[in-house]
Amino acid sequence: MTTPILELRQATKRYAGVPAIENIDFELRRAEIHALVGENGAGKSTLTKVMAGVVALSSGKMLVEGREAEPRTPLEARQLGIAMVFQENSLVPTMTVAQNLFLGQEKFYNRLRGIYIAAQQFLQSLNFDVAPTTTVSLLGAAKKQMVEIARAVLHNARVIIFDEPTASLTPEEKKYFFDLVLELKRRGVSIIFISHALEEALQISDRITVLRDGRHVVTDDTRTFDRARIVQAMVGRDLSQTLYGRRKQSARPPGQRVLSVQNLRMAALVKNTSLSVFAGQITGVFGLVGAGRTETFKVVSGVMKRDFFHGGEVFLHGKRTRYRVPAPAVRDGIAYVTEDRKVEGFFETMSIARNIYMGLVAKLGRKRAILSQHESQAAGETWIKALNVRAISKDVKVVELSGGNQQKVVIAKSLVQEPDLIIFDEPTRGVDVGAIAEIHQLINRLADEGKAVVVISSYLPEIMALSDRILVARQGKVVEEFSALEATEEKIMYAAIH
Amino acid sequence: MIAEVKSLLDRVLGRGEASSTVPPMDGQLKPNQLLERAAVVAEFAAPEDLATDGSSVFVADGKRLLRLGEHGPSEIAHLDGAITALCRLADGGFAVALDGTRLRILGGGHDGKSWERASGAPFVALNAVAASGDGRSLLVTDGSRAQPYERWSHDLMARGHGGRLVALDLAGGGEREIAGGLAYAFGAAPAGAEVWVSESWRHRLVAFGGARPGRTVLENLPVYPSRLSPAGGGGYWLTAFTARTQLVEFVLREPAYCRRMMREIDPRYWIAPRLSSGHTFLEPMQGAHIKTMGILKPWAPPRSYGLVIRLGEDGLPRYSLHSRVDGMHHGVVAAVECRGALYVLAKGAGKILRLPVTAIEEELLP
Repeated sequence: MTTPILELRQATKRYAGVPAIENIDFELRRAEIHALVGENGAGKSTLTKVMAGVVALSSGKMLVEGREAEPRTPLEARQLGIAMVFQENSLVPTMTVAQNLFLGQEKFYNRLRGIYIAAQQFLQSLNFDVAPTTTVSLLGAAKKQMVEIARAVLHNARVIIFDEPTASLTPEEKKYFFDLVLELKRRGVSIIFISHALEEALQISDRITVLRDGRHVVTDDTRTFDRARIVQAMVGRDLSQTLYGRRKQSARPPGQRVLSVQNLRMAALVKNTSLSVFAGQITGVFGLVGAGRTETFKVVSGVMKRDFFHGGEVFLHGKRTRYRVPAPAVRDGIAYVTEDRKVEGFFETMSIARNIYMGLVAKLGRKRAILSQHESQAAGETWIKALNVRAISKDVKVVELSGGNQQKVVIAKSLVQEPDLIIFDEPTRGVDVGAIAEIHQLINRLADEGKAVVVISSYLPEIMALSDRILVARQGKVVEEFSALEATEEKIMYAAIH
Repeated sequence: MIAEVKSLLDRVLGRGEASSTVPPMDGQLKPNQLLERAAVVAEFAAPEDLATDGSSVFVADGKRLLRLGEHGPSEIAHLDGAITALCRLADGGFAVALDGTRLRILGGGHDGKSWERASGAPFVALNAVAASGDGRSLLVTDGSRAQPYERWSHDLMARGHGGRLVALDLAGGGEREIAGGLAYAFGAAPAGAEVWVSESWRHRLVAFGGARPGRTVLENLPVYPSRLSPAGGGGYWLTAFTARTQLVEFVLREPAYCRRMMREIDPRYWIAPRLSSGHTFLEPMQGAHIKTMGILKPWAPPRSYGLVIRLGEDGLPRYSLHSRVDGMHHGVVAAVECRGALYVLAKGAGKILRLPVTAIEEELLP
């Protein structure tokens, strides 16, 4: 048996002690197309980033053609013959195709015409229909993908890793892309292919590896798989463990319709989506990355704008709304708890109390022209107690708190506004288990108090444990609705994928 | 002036009143197949309305008034006009609207009484009648002042708003217009001190007669609501004769197009809601399919649809029964509850359906 071109043994990567992947064994054969599938957070990206030298292993080892290797940078990985084509492409948009191809390989004297000729010949040899003189920003998604691939091949990559390569491609472009991948395989290149589209994995790969919760579940020949077996392997976690073990036994009945989103459109991310949110209920929104969940609710809360022409309508309590900035949405009773708390959630060098007070100031707007230190301290004390934020004092800077406590501050900053509609976007991402339980209790309490609550999560067990009704989004649109009692992980995942 | 500029901008940008959006059928209106799976108890040529006295169900079919018995329907009366609305009165009589233009009492203590106008204007499209809470008057909806009952889609395309709610005094024979200017009033029911009215073209239920006349009970419905009837245990059954689509909403915002379509095209082939569909390839909006991840998904806009919504006493939907776009039990215009069963009139299919309420609630309520 020939030596695998790339091998990982007992590969573990921890972030701040939390394993993103744990004891994973993986091998990639020569001239093989190997699909890597799993839910969001299953560890696919971490695993491939290890291979591509973007992150280093915490323990375990990596072998390239049988020899131990430890690439510390993407450049080192490239020297080992491993290249990665990221979902968000890494091309310089203001440069031409040829300049991008030869970026990093410049000589002391570069003759532009020579670069264009070399690039032309090289692209033709790959049968890629891309003009080398075109500026990259003018290319479509598929052509950008081609340039990325060409760059990987130009660097003599023997292993190319594609992270969600087809997410932005049209059906025709996808077909062309698959032809390219098969051509690369014929040339002896090994391919790792990450995709949420199981049909694609089944269609193009030779073998499939399924990851779940950072662990290896199964690797087998593609012909032994069907869609059902992959989905089962992806979601078949032990539900008896941790706080997600409880299945909902009852669902809260809906109250008044608080939010009605009708035929909303926003660029290519939200495509004619419609949904309702009711008072006194938790509406869970599930979908894979790129399903348009976050963007939909950012439009609702005024963080993003919908399409200028025929962008659809949003009704809050039956009243038509169109927010250009978040402030009026906050005043109307909408709170959006961001998924990216470090960038959008808090002022990291401000104290807990000040951060929470900022939420109140945002709500009151011009009514509170002069800020009150006393009011700030009082709000801080009240909400630190109410949400059990663990900190030495209310004057501690938020940056010094743990992830869970930071998240509680972000939530408190929204709840101080006394909203009617609270949108939690990935409320427990990067939060420890203890804090997760507390945040879940809080979310349930809000729904019990009659608030309309939306929970956007990529983690299926969280959605199932919290939601009274579950909306599934796919490709920019809500495509399915389940009640808490009828939903199963398989049904939800199937709707999210197909 | 500012309003005109705003209206013009809205039309260009597809916003506000000029947006052709439709609310989703989700939450309590999430589609199911309960109406489609329902048992068919009878079929008629021209069924129009249902009524009940708590022990029997009565059907208006063309000019005939029938009782639905265990061994099939039996004729009670044959009238001189087509019945467009029917109500069973507490004293054993019936209130029937004939040809949409006159209301007559048959049997009971007020036998023979009739009304042909209210507030000086003749009835044009009487489409629903209900007894008031105290039983001393009748609540009648007259859909349009311009178009007769059977030309309801003409009224929709013309954006008619000449509907009205009228109270008729059974004892004295007087009449009083409670509300006018309604965008096709189609169905009324007493609700405490108020009267709830379906306003089909505005897709809402409105309350009159209480402390806040014109209060919206339920709005922004994804369907065209029709008749209301009381439900066992409180609340109401609200029927909807068809669903809204973005295409029809768009057409309705183009008056010149509507006028030309009405002038030149046979009404059967208009881009407009219908009570039934799928009869000929000439109908617009036939359907299509989308291929997603290798799986073929049929898709079609609902040119016709069947829906009954169970409302609570507060007017909020509790659950709903559907016959979806691929079904046949469309054009639901009446539903009555009798002896633990819900009887539904699917006018598009010409059928009376029967569903046991307990079984429905076991299936739909958590």
